[in-house]
Amino acid sequence: MSLSRIAVKAAVAIFALALASAAKANEIKGKVSVQGMKSAENIAVYVDVIPDKKFDAPKDPVVIDQRKMAFVPHLVAVQQGTTVEFLNSDPVGHNVYWPSINGNKKLAHNLGTWPKGEKKPFQFNDAGVASLLCNVHPEMSGYVVVTPTPYFAVTDKDGNFEIKNIPAGKYALKTWSEDGKPTTQAVDVSGATATVELTVKK
Amino acid sequence: MKGRVMNTSIMAGLLAIVVVVLVMLASVPKTSAIPAFSRKYQTSCTTCHNNYPELNDFGEAFKKNGFKFPKDDETFVKEPPVLLGAKAQKEAFPQAVYPGEIPGFLPIAFRYSGNFNWNKKQPPDVIALNGFTPRTDLFVPNTFTIISAGSFGPNLSFWVDDDISTGGSGADGGLGDGYLKFSDLGHAFGLPKNALNVRFGQFELDLPFTQARTIYPSDYDIYDQASAAGALGTTNNPFTLGAPQRGIELGGYPNNGNFTWSIAVVNGNNDSPAIRNTKDVYARVSQRFNLEHDPESRKAIQAAGPTGPRDHTSIRLGAFYYYGKNQLNFDGSVFPGMPVGVFDEPFYRVGGDLRFKYRHLELYGVGQYGHDQNHVLNATDTGVERTKPVTFSGGFAGANYWIYPWMIGYMRYDFVNSPTDFLNGVSQYNTRNRFSPGFQILVRANIKVIGEYEHQWGKPFVNSTTGTTQFFHPHAFVTGIDYVF
Repeated sequence: MSLSRIAVKAAVAIFALALASAAKANEIKGKVSVQGMKSAENIAVYVDVIPDKKFDAPKDPVVIDQRKMAFVPHLVAVQQGTTVEFLNSDPVGHNVYWPSINGNKKLAHNLGTWPKGEKKPFQFNDAGVASLLCNVHPEMSGYVVVTPTPYFAVTDKDGNFEIKNIPAGKYALKTWSEDGKPTTQAVDVSGATATVELTVKK
Repeated sequence: MKGRVMNTSIMAGLLAIVVVVLVMLASVPKTSAIPAFSRKYQTSCTTCHNNYPELNDFGEAFKKNGFKFPKDDETFVKEPPVLLGAKAQKEAFPQAVYPGEIPGFLPIAFRYSGNFNWNKKQPPDVIALNGFTPRTDLFVPNTFTIISAGSFGPNLSFWVDDDISTGGSGADGGLGDGYLKFSDLGHAFGLPKNALNVRFGQFELDLPFTQARTIYPSDYDIYDQASAAGALGTTNNPFTLGAPQRGIELGGYPNNGNFTWSIAVVNGNNDSPAIRNTKDVYARVSQRFNLEHDPESRKAIQAAGPTGPRDHTSIRLGAFYYYGKNQLNFDGSVFPGMPVGVFDEPFYRVGGDLRFKYRHLELYGVGQYGHDQNHVLNATDTGVERTKPVTFSGGFAGANYWIYPWMIGYMRYDFVNSPTDFLNGVSQYNTRNRFSPGFQILVRANIKVIGEYEHQWGKPFVNSTTGTTQFFHPHAFVTGIDYVF
């Protein structure tokens, strides 16, 4: 093997290593604390719009069930462009509608009625929060938080969250919850794991 | 002797007026939605009510299923019942008590209603005749009701409601309904589900439109119509169709409740103790014609509307018949002018009804005819002989429109045609007409503000100055609050 060929191979290997390093999956780990709220569960945490960055819509749908007269899960976060399938698992008639998305009533939508075991899909192309309601069971409540990026998570019962596969960079991390005020916090993802502490107030 | 009867006619006439007026003024206990079920299932009143206490299609199915969800009830119950014996005890029966259950919580709910009344100014002679009614009156009748209902297992349900305070004075308004119901007895004979049920106790008859659970502040006039011959004979029947009865009722609603039937044997003395040995019979049948185009929707408990489940577009037609025997002199007393001795006066009520539902609109109506045998003394003063019966007819018709799910406008027309009442000086004409436009606003699912204007028929009174008979129309506007919890 000639010296020049060894040099080329070494250069390719270094370049590939550099690329792999650049694309290395980082993550944001954190905990949300709450003030004046019962629980830190079901808080959507997501990375806000990244300038000049666009993402393809996910192909896999997300399912929200209507079971025992409740939306299950109560809150889901999805990337903009995601199709959500609304399933009715109850032997009673249900309906799904949202009166607005982020207060914009022009984005209100009513999906109608469908029987047990069937699903009705809807693609959420507008970022924001849709409050899911059922017009015959007004106690039913659910939320779809449509995020502008694929980097999101929903807190567990202790307020913990984890956003994986996020490239290194500086981002605006936002929260949305049913009872708390939205918050925004800058986060610098430079190492493998960025740790964040957030506080959501009622 | 006929003259003696006539000599006592003034007294009998006054008695007739008193009976008719009292019956018309009588307030039948009104019950309501059951917040206890909201607690049990953790669901809103609107699951079962379009405008409480009026039931929507789901609420009707819930009630007909013995206060249980029509399908998979256990999966929806958030407060599990207490078992009064393991389910396997069924196998040990009759060596063991058949297992049952009681609600896991105390199934008690309350309702308060108080109205602000605006009454037309009364002439002094009307005040002298009927007593003073203020121009305005705050929070009447100020009724506080306790309601309990639930199930004792798969086929047993119960209901009790009692106005524990009314008139703002703590006065007892009395028991409304109090019954125990066995559902689906026909299952053992291979009959369709809920084709045969039985209930015992005190209950409102299976009327085309409930008066006890009406949304309106005023009663249906025809349901409150009693028969009193006054000066024209012996008929003095206090029976009214709208008041609860004590008895036993067989009934059913096969075919998803599209067909209903019921036969009840009752005391016939409304909610008072029996005053005679004969029992009365009430029967009703109705058929609903479901007008939904989609076969799946027709079969479903509620129709699948483009913006959510809703009541089926439908027409229900029904007929009812009540037969009884009123007895005079039953307790040793002697009807004025009559000889001693108990005698019967058979009577019947017959009618038909219609209810049409389309989206936010509901149209309805009832027509009814009443007939009471009537007597006068015979020529020899040794007994009585039949004379012209006391008859009346009437009904009501109305429309409800849901402007929003929380705002309902309505118009109702009540009429009663009673030549006997007219001849006894109860009304200005044979026919008494009342128009009642109104509105109801659900401030919350369990809180209502109501308003109703009542355009009343003319009631005669004698002008003490001129000595002439004049007519007073006691128009009124009723508004108020109503809440359950």
